[in-house]
Amino acid sequence: MTIPNDPGHLPSAHDTPAHDSPDRVDLDRVWTGVAAEVWRRHPGWVERTAARLLRSPGLARALVTTPSLLVPWLISTAVAFGVGALVSIGPGQSLVWLIAPGVAAVGIAFAYGPGTDPAWELSLSCAVPDRVVLFARGMAVFAVNAALGLLASTVSGAAAALTFGWLVPMTAVCALALAVAVTVRSASVGAAAGVGAWTITVLASQTASGQPSAAATNVHAYLPYLAVAVCCAAVVGYATRPQREF
Amino acid sequence: MNVDMRDTHRSFGKNRAVAGVDLQLGTGVFGLLGPNGAGKTSLLRMLATVLPPTSGEIRLLGRDPRGAAARREIRRRLGYLPQSLGYYPSFTVVEFIEYFALLKEMPSSAIPGAVAAAVERVDLGAKARAKLRTLSGGMLRRVGIAQAIVNNPDLLLLDEPTAGLDPEQRVHFRGLLRSLGGNSTVVVSTHLVEDVGTACSEVALMSAGRIVFRGTPDELTARGAGHEVGDAPLERGYSAVLAEARS
Repeated sequence: MTIPNDPGHLPSAHDTPAHDSPDRVDLDRVWTGVAAEVWRRHPGWVERTAARLLRSPGLARALVTTPSLLVPWLISTAVAFGVGALVSIGPGQSLVWLIAPGVAAVGIAFAYGPGTDPAWELSLSCAVPDRVVLFARGMAVFAVNAALGLLASTVSGAAAALTFGWLVPMTAVCALALAVAVTVRSASVGAAAGVGAWTITVLASQTASGQPSAAATNVHAYLPYLAVAVCCAAVVGYATRPQREF
Repeated sequence: MNVDMRDTHRSFGKNRAVAGVDLQLGTGVFGLLGPNGAGKTSLLRMLATVLPPTSGEIRLLGRDPRGAAARREIRRRLGYLPQSLGYYPSFTVVEFIEYFALLKEMPSSAIPGAVAAAVERVDLGAKARAKLRTLSGGMLRRVGIAQAIVNNPDLLLLDEPTAGLDPEQRVHFRGLLRSLGGNSTVVVSTHLVEDVGTACSEVALMSAGRIVFRGTPDELTARGAGHEVGDAPLERGYSAVLAEARS
């Protein structure tokens, strides 16, 4: 069966060589051409933009199918941030700073991997490297959560230190969740590790300073947070090195 | 030579799944038989560049898959149906096949036609826009076969492809295999001896990680002369070779 290469052109009886009689029209070929047009999927603007930016339609498709970027997940995230923006534990202290790192960590852990992707084994045999897919999806989930969190934080009228302060611990918690998810090959365990670590950090801050929000606002903690993020990124890089798969 | 494996080993802890396999394959349909745990799936996963060998040499489509660029080129020309293929329930048949065509880095302009052709070849035209969650097990298996052949692969690896197919579809699939084997290397791992007899030009039998027989289906049948275990001649050959390997 010949596959038409020009998708904009529908094969017809006129496409058959002149010496062919009408009863020799290759109906299989005609039908395949028609079916290709009828079944063709038209990518949305997000996917088209991603394909241009990433220079890979395959990677763009993998990006827009990220489980933690699908509409139901995004709605859940927006609701969580919305609740965080409405609930306050004091003047200028909405709960966005508390919610954001945990929500983002769960999203990152469920971005890609054997525990999340039903066709993971098959994906490993494809030309677009799984490591690249993981990186693209992780960055996209982080960016979306950061944007939603900042929006909620700004709307809630949080103090300046709290509006942006949680971004640094969020980076560390997300990196930890991803490192655990990739290493043990379980999105749930990765998400639990991220949320658990953030919970312990907040409780420890309250015990140490009497202020739970110190986990996000203490400038002296930023360097350790970033160190954790770098170490976890190194773990992710090691766990997904090509030699592990081949 | 599309497949060239030399003294290939693969271990999982103390368990040796593949123990010193030499295999050279050109075009044609090659059947891989063997009991559970014989090492067929591990061998196929190594050929699919999903699982690295513990030791030994593998060259696929004339390239060494240890190099990232070579591995990517091999994967563009590879079709693979894993034993347990997961599905995205919210995808339609066409979306699923198109997704893997994109991940195989097919040219975008060629994808709609290739997807339509693959859908038709597995006889799923009537279900092309159906969600995967609505399909039967046999239909899902055919979706898996369609994604494997969508890029007209030079090396096609199928692990238990006929599992769940009804008899009519299995006959149809064997015809498809024969046509694909005309200009590419097709490796089919299966428990179903009759699939091998009718579709494969050559067959290997694995036991305990080793290839204990390699030849044509007729040669395997001949090995079963006088052997009593098995209903069909090819099954008797299969049983005879296995019994000999185990003794």
